[in-house]
Amino acid sequence: MRGLKELLESRDLLVNLTLRDIRGKYRRTVLGQLWSLANPLAAMLIYTFVFSFILRLQPDRGDPSGLDVFALWLLCGLLPWAFLSNVINQGIASIVGNASLIQKVYFPRIVLPLAAVGAAGFNWLFEMAVLLIALSIVGAFVLPWIPVLLLVMILLAVFATGIALVLATANVYFRDTEYFVTILLQIWMYLTPIIYPVSLMRTASADLGGLFGTSVTVLDIYQLNPMVHFVDVFRQLLYDNRWPDPTDLLVCLVWSVASIAIGLAVFSRNQKKLAELL
Amino acid sequence: MSIPAVSITNVSKRFRLYRERNQTLKSAIMRGRTSIHEDFWALQDVSFDVPAGSTFGVIGRNGSGKSTLLKCLAKVYFPDAGSITTNGRLAALLEVGTGFHPELSGRENVYLNGSILGMQRKEIDAKFDAIVDFANIERFIDQPVKTYSSGMYVRLGFSIAIHVNPDILIVDEVLAVGDASFQAKCLEKFGALKAEGKTVILVSHALTMVEEMCERAAWLDRGRLVHVGEAATTIERYRQSEATDDSDVQESG
Repeated sequence: MRGLKELLESRDLLVNLTLRDIRGKYRRTVLGQLWSLANPLAAMLIYTFVFSFILRLQPDRGDPSGLDVFALWLLCGLLPWAFLSNVINQGIASIVGNASLIQKVYFPRIVLPLAAVGAAGFNWLFEMAVLLIALSIVGAFVLPWIPVLLLVMILLAVFATGIALVLATANVYFRDTEYFVTILLQIWMYLTPIIYPVSLMRTASADLGGLFGTSVTVLDIYQLNPMVHFVDVFRQLLYDNRWPDPTDLLVCLVWSVASIAIGLAVFSRNQKKLAELL
Repeated sequence: MSIPAVSITNVSKRFRLYRERNQTLKSAIMRGRTSIHEDFWALQDVSFDVPAGSTFGVIGRNGSGKSTLLKCLAKVYFPDAGSITTNGRLAALLEVGTGFHPELSGRENVYLNGSILGMQRKEIDAKFDAIVDFANIERFIDQPVKTYSSGMYVRLGFSIAIHVNPDILIVDEVLAVGDASFQAKCLEKFGALKAEGKTVILVSHALTMVEEMCERAAWLDRGRLVHVGEAATTIERYRQSEATDDSDVQESG
């Protein structure tokens, strides 16, 4: 409770640190904020070329929207993923990277990872706005889904924050964490149906049947990955334009709550020691 | 006497001296432990009160625990034993310009640094002109901080810190910054703070400065409190002990 009050008192600091990250990043570039679109656009072009043009991957048409544009279908999963990955990467670095600050001044340490989430979130909002415009141009009726979309975005942000808090703390003890996570994120991305539809995974799993004579299939294990459900929900809202599957939503909610609870517990237990450990 | 501004009770702070520190996962797993260490007590059972409205000096040689004590006061470190109670808003000047972003303008950095030091936006708005004026950099306030000379950088940082307007200000030898006229300005500002009834804690090697400014002083040696009392008496005893130590060295050498 005391921590919460303190955090409220330092919301100006949180805003200023977030602005520092946002403003400082693209200073002295000609394109400025547009650079934040460059990464997802480049990824979109590469994946569309390889997976749609060469490998002829065909995700289901949007139902009921009727959309059939691979690039947009891809972005509906890719942008949330890029946000998660940015939060984790920047969150991890936030404590070690601000060591001089932590060793000189007292303030609630949690504002540092939260500012990283804020800066990544700002970029994500910008990207999603561009995606919404693109979707509307090709005929998707996304506007009514924006309130639900925002809610799910907040859930993902909460989920990502929890992970970032744990990893930022771990990185203070073991600097390996940062490098380890880069690899883990790559594996995690391919274990999530971002550049291929989940239906392919379903077919592959059905062909294989139960594992080791049990009724547990590869798909069951695959679905333990929370991001499978998040990406599903984002696609249902943005690409299909319909209510997300309630089970998916519930799974997202449970993962978010669990993640933030663990994140806060780990971080608050260690935050007093950070100055000495760095 | 009234309630003390800061009350330090039996404070001890332990550091671990690592003979082997395994900050990589590999060694932690292979050895099954993260470190081999010895304990080193940077502060041992230190207790004293700083009266409200006074200027208080903390003296001692290098490694005596001054900076550790300061960081404990600033809540950067947390004591392993004992407690520190403060009455009123506390600001610590351990370093000037903490958290400045080189690409951002002076103006943006004033807001950033001000909020790091615990000021609210409205407060900074109100004090902005005074801060810029004190630092004497009106012409350059909208330039990126990386273009500042080191003097300008330090003046701006110091000016922000001093305008936090705390009830208790802790200063760690930062007065050695800037040219003579800026130092004079700083001393004047400290005088003004004192006149307003604020408490200033000054940590310094510079005995003359402590002598000039402080009413009371504490002397730390190897993490223990040796003497606390009138500044003149404390400094006198410190000087004597330094003199005997020096002659010891000469005799043995």
